[in-house]
Amino acid sequence: MRQFVLVGAWVAAAFLALNIDPAAAHPIPELEETYTQGVFSPNFIPPAAGTYDLPVIARAQPVVLLDATGRRINTASLMDGKVAIVSFIYTACSDRLGCPLAGIALRELQAQLRREGLQDQAVLLSISLDVEHDTPKQLAKYGRVFGAEPSLWHLLTAPSQQVLKAALESYGQDRARVYDEDGRFTGRYRHVLKVFLVDQVGQVRNIYSTGSLVPQVIVNDIKTVLADKTADRSLSNR
Amino acid sequence: MRHTAFSTYPKRGFWILATILLLMAAPAAADETCQSPFLPKITGQEDYVYVWTLGIEGVADGNDSLVTVDVNPTSKRYGQIIHRTPVPGRHEAHHAGFTDDRRHLWAGGLDDSHIFIFDVASNPARPKLVKTITSFVKDTGGLVGPHTFYALPGRMLITALSNATDSSGRTGLAEYSNEGRFIRTIWMPKEAPYGYDVRVNINLNRMLTSTFTGKNNYMRPLGELVKDTEAMKAFGDTVVVWDFHARKPLQVLQVPGAPLELRWALQPNHYYAFTSTALAHQLTLIYQQGDGTWAAKSIADLGDTLPVDISIAPDDSKLYVASFMDGRLRVYDISDPFKPKLIEQVKVGESANMVSESWDGARLYVTNSLLSKWDKPGDYWLKAYAWENGKLVHKFTTDFNSVGRAHLMNFGSKALRAKPE
Repeated sequence: MRQFVLVGAWVAAAFLALNIDPAAAHPIPELEETYTQGVFSPNFIPPAAGTYDLPVIARAQPVVLLDATGRRINTASLMDGKVAIVSFIYTACSDRLGCPLAGIALRELQAQLRREGLQDQAVLLSISLDVEHDTPKQLAKYGRVFGAEPSLWHLLTAPSQQVLKAALESYGQDRARVYDEDGRFTGRYRHVLKVFLVDQVGQVRNIYSTGSLVPQVIVNDIKTVLADKTADRSLSNR
Repeated sequence: MRHTAFSTYPKRGFWILATILLLMAAPAAADETCQSPFLPKITGQEDYVYVWTLGIEGVADGNDSLVTVDVNPTSKRYGQIIHRTPVPGRHEAHHAGFTDDRRHLWAGGLDDSHIFIFDVASNPARPKLVKTITSFVKDTGGLVGPHTFYALPGRMLITALSNATDSSGRTGLAEYSNEGRFIRTIWMPKEAPYGYDVRVNINLNRMLTSTFTGKNNYMRPLGELVKDTEAMKAFGDTVVVWDFHARKPLQVLQVPGAPLELRWALQPNHYYAFTSTALAHQLTLIYQQGDGTWAAKSIADLGDTLPVDISIAPDDSKLYVASFMDGRLRVYDISDPFKPKLIEQVKVGESANMVSESWDGARLYVTNSLLSKWDKPGDYWLKAYAWENGKLVHKFTTDFNSVGRAHLMNFGSKALRAKPE
C-alpha cells in the first residue's frame, strides 16, 4: 500500500535528517525497520473526501507567538480563512516516532498540498513545546532540515511560558517535564503527539496522533472541511 | 527515570511498544493489552490498580468510588487499598477508561448515565474527581448506559447499552472532547441495534462493536430475568465492522448470544479479534478474509459458565477467559487462532468477572462483581496472579468488603505524575 511505504520513508528520513544516534534512543537499531514493516503501518485506503463528517471538537483560541524570523505574529492572521494543520513539537525531542515523525509527515503533507493545488487553502503551524531552547533561530534551522516552505509551514515559539501554557490549554495538549532520579529537569518533555486540523473559522475538526498521521487522510480531511458548507457553524448554536 | 517503558517511550502507540518489547524481550507490564492504540502504555511494573467500585448501602459511605490498590511488589503496602475517591451516590459503576494522554480517567454509571472524570496525573496514588457529566442522555439525544470509554486523540469514544425512549438495547456510540464537550452521537445500524464494547485497529482503519442488552434487562434481578423468556430474547447477537475514520458500518456479523468484550490481536499482520458470548458461551474469532471482508467463527465452546471477560497476551499466544458461574479463569493457547487449546485453569473464586493483564503478560488481576442486580451476595475482592514456572500463582487477595463491589480495573504508575511547573 502507498501509505505503508510512506510511513517507512518518513522514519528513514527522520534518521538522516536529524542525525540522531540510534543507540541513544533505542538499543535495537532494527526496530524501525520492523516498525515500518507493519507494526504501526496504515494498510488501508482512506475513505474518499466528502463521504464522511468531521464534527466540531473544540474551538482553538488565537495566540500571539514568535515566528522563525523573530517577528510577533497572531496565529489567527496565519490561519484565517484557511484550513490549518497545527502541531506541537520541540526540536530537541529524541523520540523518533514522536516529533521527528511528525516533522517528516508534515513535510510529506506540504508536498502533497502543493501537488494537489491546495497550498493557498491550507497552512501548517508547528508550535514549540520548549520555550527555553527553541528560539526563532533554532526553529529556522529545524525548518530547513524539514524543508518547511516559509509561506506554507510556519514554525512558531511562545514569547513566554505563560503564553505557551495558554496555547496548550486551548488545544488540550499535554506536556510534562521529565526529571531524572535526582529530581533534575532532563530537558525532555513527555507529551502525546497531537496534530490538530483547524477549519477556516478556528474550530478543531480532527486530531491525529502517532499511527494516524497519514498525509493522504489529512489531505482528504482538508478537502472534506473545505467542501463543508456548514463550516461556519459555531459551537454555541449546534 | 522510572523503570517503566512508559517514561522511556512516552508518546508511542500501542503497536510500537509491542514491537519494542518483543524485540528486546524486556520485562514489561494492566488490561494494558486491550487499551486504545492511541494511549501510551505502562510497559514496566504497574504501581497501582484503579478499581471502579460499586457502592453498597450500609458499607462505608455507600457511594460508588474509585479505589486505588498498591500492586508494586516492592511496596510496603503491596496488595492493600491505599486510597478511595468516592463520588456522590450510587450509579451502577461499571467500566472506565483513560483519555489519550492518560491524565484523566472517565468512569460511567449504567443506571443514571452519569460520567465521572478523575484526575490521575496530579497524584497517581490519589485520583481526584474533577468533573461530572450528568447530561449524557440529553447530550446524545437519548443514549443510556455509558459503557466502554475508549481514547481517541483528544476525544473519548463511548459506547452505550440502552436508550431513554424504551430502555431496550437499541443504542449507539457518543464522542466527547477530552474537556467533556459533547461532539456527536452515532446510532447503531437498524439491523444491529445493540451495543456494548468498541475496539479500533488503526492499521486497518477498522472498528468493531459488540452487543449486550438494554437497561430494562441489566437493571433487573438476574433470577427474575432468566425466567422471563421474552426478556431473554432481548440480547444482542451481532458484531459490527466499521470504517473507523468515517465512523460508518460496513458489515454486520451474526454472533448469537451476546458477544461482550472485543480483543484485537496485537501482532503485525494478525488481522483478527476475539470475543466471547455470555449466553451462548462460545469463544468467537472475528477475522479478515482473503477478499478483505470479515467473518465470525465459533472456535471453542466454553461450557455453560457465563464467560464475562477476556484478555489477550501481548504476543497473541494466549487468551484468558473469566467465567462468572464457576469462578474460573481459563487460559487458551491461541497460537492457531482457529484452534484454541485449553492449557491452564484456576479456580479464582465465586463470581469471577473482570480480568486485567499486565503489558508483558506476566501479571493478572481479577475482580468479582458483574452488576449490582446480578451479583450473588458474598465476598468482594481483587485477586492478583502471576506466571511462575509455567503456572499461574496466586499473589494476593485484596478484601473489598469494606468499600464495595470491585469491577473494572485500570493501571496506574508513579511515572505518570505530572508535576506542576
